[in-house]
Amino acid sequence: MSTENSNNSTQAVRFRAEIDRSLRHPVMFFMTSGAAWLAVSLILGIISSAKLHAPGFLDGCAWLTYGRVQVAHVNTLIYGWGFQAAFGVIVWMMSRLSRQTCKAAGLILTAGHLWNFGVTVGTLGILFGFSTGMPWLEFPSFAWPVLLLSYFAIVIWSVIQFKVRPEGHVFISQWYLLAAIIWFPWIYLTANLLLHVFPGNPVMAYGICAWYKSSLIFLFFTPVALGTAFYLTPKVTGRPIKSYSLAKLGFWSLAIIMPWAGMQKLAGAPIPYFIPYLGAAATILFFVPAFTAAINILRTAFADMETVNNSPTLRFSIAGVFGLIVMAFAAVFLNLPNSTLPLTQFSLSGYGFEILALYAFFSFVMFGAIYFIVPRVTSREWLSSRLIKMHFFFSLYGIVTIAIMAIFGGLMQGHGQEKWEQPWIEVSLFARPYAWMTTIAWCFILFSNIFFFLHLTFMWLRLGRRSTHPTLLASVHGHSPHGEEGDIDNVGSGTASAH
Amino acid sequence: MSFRTFILSLSVSFGVAWLAIIIVPYFKMRSLEPVSMGEEESGTNAVYVPKRAGRIADGSQVYAENGCYLCHSQLVRPTYAGNDLFRPDWGGFVYDDERGDSRRETNAYDFAGEDFAHIGVARIGPDLSNLAVRVENNYAKGGSAEKWLYNHLYDPRREPERRLSTCPAFRFLFEEKKITGNPSDEALPFTGKDGEEVIPKPEARALVSYLLSLKKDQPVPASLDFAPAKAEAAASPAPAATPAP
Repeated sequence: MSTENSNNSTQAVRFRAEIDRSLRHPVMFFMTSGAAWLAVSLILGIISSAKLHAPGFLDGCAWLTYGRVQVAHVNTLIYGWGFQAAFGVIVWMMSRLSRQTCKAAGLILTAGHLWNFGVTVGTLGILFGFSTGMPWLEFPSFAWPVLLLSYFAIVIWSVIQFKVRPEGHVFISQWYLLAAIIWFPWIYLTANLLLHVFPGNPVMAYGICAWYKSSLIFLFFTPVALGTAFYLTPKVTGRPIKSYSLAKLGFWSLAIIMPWAGMQKLAGAPIPYFIPYLGAAATILFFVPAFTAAINILRTAFADMETVNNSPTLRFSIAGVFGLIVMAFAAVFLNLPNSTLPLTQFSLSGYGFEILALYAFFSFVMFGAIYFIVPRVTSREWLSSRLIKMHFFFSLYGIVTIAIMAIFGGLMQGHGQEKWEQPWIEVSLFARPYAWMTTIAWCFILFSNIFFFLHLTFMWLRLGRRSTHPTLLASVHGHSPHGEEGDIDNVGSGTASAH
Repeated sequence: MSFRTFILSLSVSFGVAWLAIIIVPYFKMRSLEPVSMGEEESGTNAVYVPKRAGRIADGSQVYAENGCYLCHSQLVRPTYAGNDLFRPDWGGFVYDDERGDSRRETNAYDFAGEDFAHIGVARIGPDLSNLAVRVENNYAKGGSAEKWLYNHLYDPRREPERRLSTCPAFRFLFEEKKITGNPSDEALPFTGKDGEEVIPKPEARALVSYLLSLKKDQPVPASLDFAPAKAEAAASPAPAATPAP
């Protein structure tokens, strides 16, 4: 009996290793090129943020003007880093959860190169003055079919794997990832077709852009990050998710509420009156899917605090879940009609909220996933816990500063904008100290990601440690949350079976 | 839940919102109905034709390419959504010489000729809905509005009262040319190298022409123009309007 069990588990371990091996190249490609784009985006972010308080900095050069650098910064952050991190996680996790080796690694890799080509040309297009001027869709209009095509070529295999998987349980992570896979092309195609192919009323066109921004955050980045956190937490702690029905509630409330959000940026614009206020209401209601998911994940994780502290994966992704909680509070706090909405509609806090969503929540969970996945696909361990700690703390300090500065600075700025008795110049001075702090915080984040990028490059070159002891953040390598020596994919101190 | 029910539920939950706030409003707003000027108020029953002159399409493109919308909005919100109307000269003038209180909020016809309304992301700089009128009446002080805008784009911090502006300098929209014959009328009052003058490139011309089309001085139908009355009812902001001379 026991020999049979151990045979089965050895087989399972072998099979998982086989899945990992089949995905090594696409996953490592997405993660390293994503990290490289993150570095590009951070450098551009520092330049553009510096220009907000020192307009003479790198002045007068066409491709370095604020209006291009800032746009390139945001677009590379989204399409360069965000999407590629998401691709890496989606293809790996969907294979693992559907128990299928990847049979299209070459095609995914090719599509990944195509995606990178699209992003590169798009970014150069922005810098050299061919931007479309539509927030978050600024890549010149030839880029979107390229991106959409490569998107389909990358994720379609995950849907097929899900369809042909052996019968059994559907994991919570799979709902979130599948939904994100389906929502994104729907949103992206709608926005691009309506803006580029069937031009209509210009005000409504702006509205579609605002809806696209919000949908990308709430219906792509949020579900990808939540699906990842719902995978990593039980996997590393070895405990099942606390409440299945709460997870269901969280998922379906996200699906039902969030498509309505986004148009609150058009409050007072000449479009039907109900649309912006419906958007504000939906954004405020984001706290329902956010809190249900966050509570579920945190209750699962906090049953094993020691593991959360020691495991780089959990430390990052649980910090990301806290980012989600802050983001949900901000969604409520920044969108109250008649009180804060008029203040935040045209202030820095919009950017603050986006960075909160993209970095404090999404990117932190992605870092967690990368610290989990890379050792498995390269069969090497991370080199140094110190590098991971540096990455964690500098990122954390940086993002907390940016969130506070952009959101509260934005509120102060909005408050100044509403004080119509004061001359306008007073208002622009309101925001300046906050812009200073934001620049410093971006420097911290860049500094932290240099460690991350170096570390990841070493791993990509397969210079990681040849060991089966996972790299932990605890000083003693005694008790391992990833499992005992001999199987890096073993489950932790709990008892639930791994999938 | 089977794969099919899952996809179906996703499509319904997303599709309802998609139809209600995107597809239906978008296609309904594709062709706006003509508005009558309103016989009672204006004495004529003519149809309102928004007037806008200038190189709107290519100027708006230059505006987009250089990310002006990141810092400048083009939306004067009604009083229920913000205090924009109270700002002197953002939505018109409180004491217009001819029309008394000419302030009004943005309407859907203000973006005539553009594919995409640059409503804007943030207000690091001021709203530009009524920029042309502001430049002509207040900033250029009798001089050429066009020249004022060229100078401002070339060096936004030139005037002492604007030394704190964070607007980027758009020197790359200008070129330095050798003076042949008489100096050009369009030359900016900035000295280049010896024997050279600073002249706006075509992009700068398009942009300035577009900026000069951003006006709110045309009388609009009474059915679209309820802002000042509402503003007074909401907060009674300014001292009582003096009768027009």
